[in-house]
Amino acid sequence: MDCDQSANRYVRCVVVVELMSGVKVLDVGQRISAPYCAKTLANMGAEVIKVEPLEGDEARRMGPFPPGDRHPEKSGIFLALNANKLGVTLDLTSNVGKDAFCKLAQKADVIVENLPFRHMENLGLGFADIKAINPGIIFTSITPFGDRSANKDWKATDLTLFHMSGNAHELLGPVADPDTEPPIRAGGHQAEFVVGLTAVTATLAALFQRRMTGNGVHVDLSSYEALVTQGIAGLASETYGVPRQARDLSKSTGGSVTAVGGILPCNDGYVAISPREDAQWERWLEVIGRPDWSTDEKFATRSSRQSNLVELWRLLGKWSCQHSKHDIARWGQTQRIPCFAVNTISDLLQNEHLIAREFFVEIDHPIAGNLRYPGVPYRFSNATLPLSKFPAPMLGEHNAQILGKAQ
Amino acid sequence: MNTLPLPLEGVRVLDLSWIIAGPTAARHLAMMGADVIKLGSNRRPDPSTGSPSFQVYNQSKSYAALNLSLPRGLELAKSIIAVSDVVVENFAAGVIERLGLSYESMCKANPSIIMVSSSGTGHTGPDKDYVAYGSLLQHYTGWNAVSGYPEREPIRGGLWADPWVGMELCMVILAALNHRATTGYGNYVDFSMAEALSATIPEALIHYQMNEVIKEPMGNKDDWDSPHDVYRCKGSDQWVAIAVTSNEEWESLCRAIGKEDWISDARFAIAETRQAHATEINSAITRWTLQLGDYEATRILQSAGIPAGPSLNYARVFQDTELRNTGYISKVRTSDGETRALPGLPWRFGSQPAEKNEPAPVLGQHNDRIYLEILGLTRREVSQLIDARIIF
Repeated sequence: MDCDQSANRYVRCVVVVELMSGVKVLDVGQRISAPYCAKTLANMGAEVIKVEPLEGDEARRMGPFPPGDRHPEKSGIFLALNANKLGVTLDLTSNVGKDAFCKLAQKADVIVENLPFRHMENLGLGFADIKAINPGIIFTSITPFGDRSANKDWKATDLTLFHMSGNAHELLGPVADPDTEPPIRAGGHQAEFVVGLTAVTATLAALFQRRMTGNGVHVDLSSYEALVTQGIAGLASETYGVPRQARDLSKSTGGSVTAVGGILPCNDGYVAISPREDAQWERWLEVIGRPDWSTDEKFATRSSRQSNLVELWRLLGKWSCQHSKHDIARWGQTQRIPCFAVNTISDLLQNEHLIAREFFVEIDHPIAGNLRYPGVPYRFSNATLPLSKFPAPMLGEHNAQILGKAQ
Repeated sequence: MNTLPLPLEGVRVLDLSWIIAGPTAARHLAMMGADVIKLGSNRRPDPSTGSPSFQVYNQSKSYAALNLSLPRGLELAKSIIAVSDVVVENFAAGVIERLGLSYESMCKANPSIIMVSSSGTGHTGPDKDYVAYGSLLQHYTGWNAVSGYPEREPIRGGLWADPWVGMELCMVILAALNHRATTGYGNYVDFSMAEALSATIPEALIHYQMNEVIKEPMGNKDDWDSPHDVYRCKGSDQWVAIAVTSNEEWESLCRAIGKEDWISDARFAIAETRQAHATEINSAITRWTLQLGDYEATRILQSAGIPAGPSLNYARVFQDTELRNTGYISKVRTSDGETRALPGLPWRFGSQPAEKNEPAPVLGQHNDRIYLEILGLTRREVSQLIDARIIF
């Protein structure tokens, strides 16, 4: 029995175990989505074995890298997505590779893969094949459009998914000329992360169901539908016939600012503010030292502020550009106004709040060295999260240890 | 073959959340078969009430009215907690405790309860009381900073934080349910929306540590794949996204756009050298895409094995017949009596029934179900509670 009151104010006297302790996962993933799914399970204490082709996961070639050093053990995205996993290499097209994979699959609870549509099936390693040797297997297949779609043979990437799903049209905000300023995707690999997160959700639901039924299941996940699920509010607007914000600035109700909020320039970057309610606006006027505006008919109500938007934001900008974004955010929050500094990546790594919450996870890697990785947004009172158990595996690092055992 | 129950049948969730993220998590759970009870009051209604989005954030739930500001109301909430597995809430940090529903007090009603608390910046740390909206958190967390173009104002960002957190809260609840099934123990989960966003930008955080410079955002372009952009098509504001992820796909693209001679051109042999000649390549692709509609270009490229897709707004996503053919969008009779097309869940479990897709309820619609059937009160007791303005 463990009774650690100091680490967390909510811990009760229970046997603290990892959330997914005892769950065995095979990650047959490339790039982002399936590896992120398996990584999330590893963060929760599942035993994850990453199965890479002999030439390695493509993420090893994607970066970011140190300057001029495209070393396959130094790709930032690979290191981030594969920490806390063990790694083996297998040629799944060879009989030796297939046999070794089946031995691992017999002992696994979960297989997650995002290989091309029906690739595993064509290798003789599909759900039906594995179920024959392991009836309880949860086999999560991430494909671009799912097994039921007429487009099931189509390919997709982070870019095409972000654009097809409606998300790209609203990201930039309205633009002056939609025919020369295209919609854009978000930075990094946001679409792939959504797919990976959705795959964890579906996989955990299948695991929970298996506790009742004892049966394995094929989880058929559509990446496209996962991205569309980010936009269910947009679909709701359509089914109720409520038009969305136009991408054309001249037809829209506001550019990057509205009476509800926007971004102000500062002497060290930008601050995002949203004093949308009248009471918040009154307190905001105290912050900027213009209480007289509360009786100025141009700015007195939310609708008058909306009508005089251009002048209002010009005046606010004249004030804000004399100050630091961090000061303005603090002054605003002291008055309970939703108001945040627009943080750069360097701001984020120094952010005292995130440091106090131990958000960043430091892991040392024998080739890539010591790096701080983003952690997870959740803390469990009665379970530990082994976020820094070990670094991402080097190519084939655990072949002898694991395949020796499997063979 | 017998039809299996939905994965979460038998699990009860008390949904004390509002606006977007918390309700979305409970919506996903309800569609997976959980009995989700949303509690609300007409004194402080869920701000999304009456909007179309309320209809998708609250699909397949029950909705009971309860005044939590009076002791008897609080007692009733605890009676529901006593027969629930999960409580989800997303008030500002500290609010649920002031209401009298701290994790400790819930544990008295139900020692193995799973309580998931989501707030803007989490429930510990110097900024825990910061007042937050998802749109502002996208700026605070670096999420918007990695997108857009260099030397421009930060992008606006769209509605991203809340739906992402909705799915992640749902995932966390499922993890806690699995843990409880093994150990018998519940959990209190402290969830930070801000950290959820910062956790999805590892590339930028690691690039900075490796290179000591902040990487400029690159619009639709990519570090590794090339060509990788959106290209103007024939119709107004029509674009096709094309991402070439291998040399085989590059060769197919050259054939598709009538540039076979580029296949053997050493300047374009690998992604890195293609990036160096992006202007020349992109103008040739655009000359080709300008002759075609966005779906037309997509179909040609996809049949040649090249990842491509139209850049759609929500109106055109909604019209995509494939979403109906796969069963993701299906028709439901909503609370206003109309039949409307609403989204489901993005996965299937083999041939099992997909999900429970029922319309969002109205406040108080399930008072009888909750108070009479689940809590076992008598009609007389309920009418006394109505007189006392506890139930309405």
